Amino acid sequence: MPVTARPRQRRSARGTRSPGVFPWAVVVVTAAGAAAAVALAPHNARAWVAGTVIVAWVCVVVVAGTASARLGRALRRAESRGEELETTKAHWMRHGAETDQLVTTTLPAVVRQVKSGTGPGEALSGLPTPSDPYLRRLLHVFATEMAESARETAEARSELERTRAEMGQWTAQLDHVTKETLPAAVTLLREGSSAETVLAKLDWPAHPLLRGPGESFVRELAYSERRSAAAQAASAKALSRVQAKIVSMLAELRDLQERHGAEVFGDLLRLDHATSQLGLMTDRLALLMGGRSSRVWNKPIVMESILRGAVGRIAAYRRVRLHNSSKGAIAGFAAEGVMHLLAELMDNAANFSPPIDEVHVYVEERSAGLVVTIEDSGLKMSDAAMRRAEESVSGRTTDLASLQGTRLGLGVVGRLAAKYGISVNYRPSSRGGTGVVVLLPPQLVAQQREPVTVEPPRPSAELPRPAAVAPAAEAVPAAGPGPVVPAGPRAVVPAEVMARTDDPRADDPRADDPRVRSAATPNGLPVRAPGRTMAEAERTRPKAAPERTGREPGAAGPARDAGSRFGAFHRGRQSGSAAVDGASGGVPGGPEAVPGTDE
Amino acid sequence: MTRKPVDIGVPDRLYMVTGGRSEADNSLDLVTLIVSECEPTAGMQSEHTRILDLCRHPTALVEVSAELKLPITVVRILLGDLIDMGKVSARHPRAAGSVAALPETALLQEVLHGLRNL
Repeated sequence: MPVTARPRQRRSARGTRSPGVFPWAVVVVTAAGAAAAVALAPHNARAWVAGTVIVAWVCVVVVAGTASARLGRALRRAESRGEELETTKAHWMRHGAETDQLVTTTLPAVVRQVKSGTGPGEALSGLPTPSDPYLRRLLHVFATEMAESARETAEARSELERTRAEMGQWTAQLDHVTKETLPAAVTLLREGSSAETVLAKLDWPAHPLLRGPGESFVRELAYSERRSAAAQAASAKALSRVQAKIVSMLAELRDLQERHGAEVFGDLLRLDHATSQLGLMTDRLALLMGGRSSRVWNKPIVMESILRGAVGRIAAYRRVRLHNSSKGAIAGFAAEGVMHLLAELMDNAANFSPPIDEVHVYVEERSAGLVVTIEDSGLKMSDAAMRRAEESVSGRTTDLASLQGTRLGLGVVGRLAAKYGISVNYRPSSRGGTGVVVLLPPQLVAQQREPVTVEPPRPSAELPRPAAVAPAAEAVPAAGPGPVVPAGPRAVVPAEVMARTDDPRADDPRADDPRVRSAATPNGLPVRAPGRTMAEAERTRPKAAPERTGREPGAAGPARDAGSRFGAFHRGRQSGSAAVDGASGGVPGGPEAVPGTDE
Repeated sequence: MTRKPVDIGVPDRLYMVTGGRSEADNSLDLVTLIVSECEPTAGMQSEHTRILDLCRHPTALVEVSAELKLPITVVRILLGDLIDMGKVSARHPRAAGSVAALPETALLQEVLHGLRNL
C-alpha cells in the first residue's frame, strides 16, 4: 500500500505548481497580444479594435481567474486526501510491524514461556501487548490454549513414562518366568515332583496375570507327567507279568519237548517259536516302558548261544545264517540285553529284505571287543532312512515321544546300546543291502574257558593227580569263597578264568578241583551259589569228586527223558563197579575206572 | 519290586539247534552206537563238536542224548546231519534180530528169585 501510494503523490506534487502559473501567463500573453494588436491597427479603427481587444482580454482574465480558483480548490482537496492517505499508511505500517513482531517475537516467546511452565497471564505480562484489540484477543486466546495443551502434553508424557516403566517391569518378570522359572519347573516335574512342591519351591511373579498362567501350566504339566508315569508304570507292571508267564511257558514247552516223542515234537517246536516271538515283543514293550528284560542270566553266555537266542526270537529265523567261530562269551548281566538288541536288528534286516534272501551274521573278535555284523541283501536304505535309523539306534533320544508308529524296535536298540555302551552303526552292505555293525565292548565280553568236556579224561592224564591235589588244596584259601559267593555274575568269570589260567594243568579236568572243593563248607556241606541247582552243588562237593568224570555235566538237572535216565543208571552202575575195581575196559567206563583206583 | 528269578538254563531253543526241523531219521535206534570219524573243526555247531568229542569211543545214541541233555529226537536230527556229512558213522546193534536167543522169561525169573534169596 505504501508502494502504490508513491506515484500518485509525485503526480499531485507536480500538478500543484504548474496550474497556478499557467492562467496568469495566458493573461499576460493575451495582454501583450492585445497591446500589439492595438498598436498595429490602422489609426481610424484603433478605437474599435481597442474596445474589442479590451473586452476580449477581460473575458480571458475572467476565464483565467475562474480556472485558477477551481484549480486551487482542487489542489487543496487533493492535499487533504494525501494527508489522509499518509495517516492510513502509517497506521497500516504500524499494524504490520505489530503483526510482524507478534508473529516473530511474541508468539514464540509465549510458547517458550508456557512450555517452561509459566502461566498464560504471567507470560503475557512480560511481553509487549499489541495495540490492536483483535491481535490482543488473539494473543490471549493463543496463550491460554497453549498453556492448556502444554499441561495436557505433560500429563500424557508422565502417563506414558509410568506405563513404560510398568511395561518394563512386566517384561522383566515375564522374561524371568520364561527363561528360568518354567524350565526349572519342567525339570522338577520331570523328576517327579508334585505341582505343589514346584509352585512352592520356585519364585513366581506376584501379578495374577502372570502367576495364573504359570500355575495352570505347572498343574497341567504335572498332571500329564503323572498320567504318563502312571501309564508307563502300569504297562511295565502288566508286561512283567506277561513276561513271567512267557518265561514259564517256555520252560514248560522245553519240558514237554523232553517228555514227549517225535509225534508232537514239531508242533511243540512251532509253539516254542511262537512263544519266543511273543517274548521278544513283550520284552520290547517292557523295555520301552522302563521295565526290564524277562530274563537275567547268572553266567556268561557263549556267543553261539547268544546268536541262537537272538535268531530264535524272530519270525524268519530260518533265513538267518550264522557265521561264528568265536569262543567269546557275553557276561551274564548283559547277555539278555545283547540278545534282544541283536534280535531286533536281525528282525529289522529280515523284514526289510526279500523273503527269499538270507541274512548273514558274522562274528569277529577284535581288540576293541566283539564285532557282530548283520548283513541283508534287501533294498539299499535311502540316506534319510539311514540317518533316521542311526539316530534312533544311537540312544541319544530315549524319549517315548520320539517313537514313530509301530517302529519300536530301533528305539529299543538305542536304549540297550546306550545302557551297555554298545555301538551300532549302519553302512551299505557289500551284498547290496544294508549292513549293521554292532561293537560289543570288552567289558561285556567274558572269555569263556574251554568246556571241560572237550577233552575226555585219559588214564595218562590222571596219573599226576595225587600231586595235583596238594596245590589244589592249598589254593582253597586263596581262592576262598570268591567264585562261590560272587557279587554278581560278572565277578564269577574272571575268578574262574584266573583259576584256570593259573593252573598249569588247565587241560586236566581235575584242575577244576579248587573250585570244586571251595564249593563246600569246611564241614563238607554243599554251598549253593545263587542260581545253581542243588544237584550241581552236591556234585561239586569233595565227596562227589570221585564220581566226577569227563562227562559229568551230563548228570545235572532232572533226568526226565529216557536218555537221561539211562545215563544216570549207567553212571550209577559205573561207580558201583569202580568200587570193586570192576572196570572191565568197557569203552565208556574206561575213564571212570581211574577215580575208583584213586580212592 | 520282587526279585526276578535268575535263569540258569541256556537261551538256545531246540528249534534253533535243529535249524527248524522236527522230523528225525528213524533208522537210528536208541542203542545204536555212534563213532566219530574226524576231529571237530572250528565254526561247527557246538552240539556237533560235542558229539564228535563224545563219540571218539563208540557211544550209544541214548547216551549221547543224556550227555548233551537234549531230547532223543533232536539228537537223531543232529546225528543224521553228521552221518550225511560223513563225520560220524552208526553201528546198529548186532543182536537186534536175535531176541529169540535170549533165555526164557521163566528161567530169568528163577535166577531173580535165587538172587533175592541170597
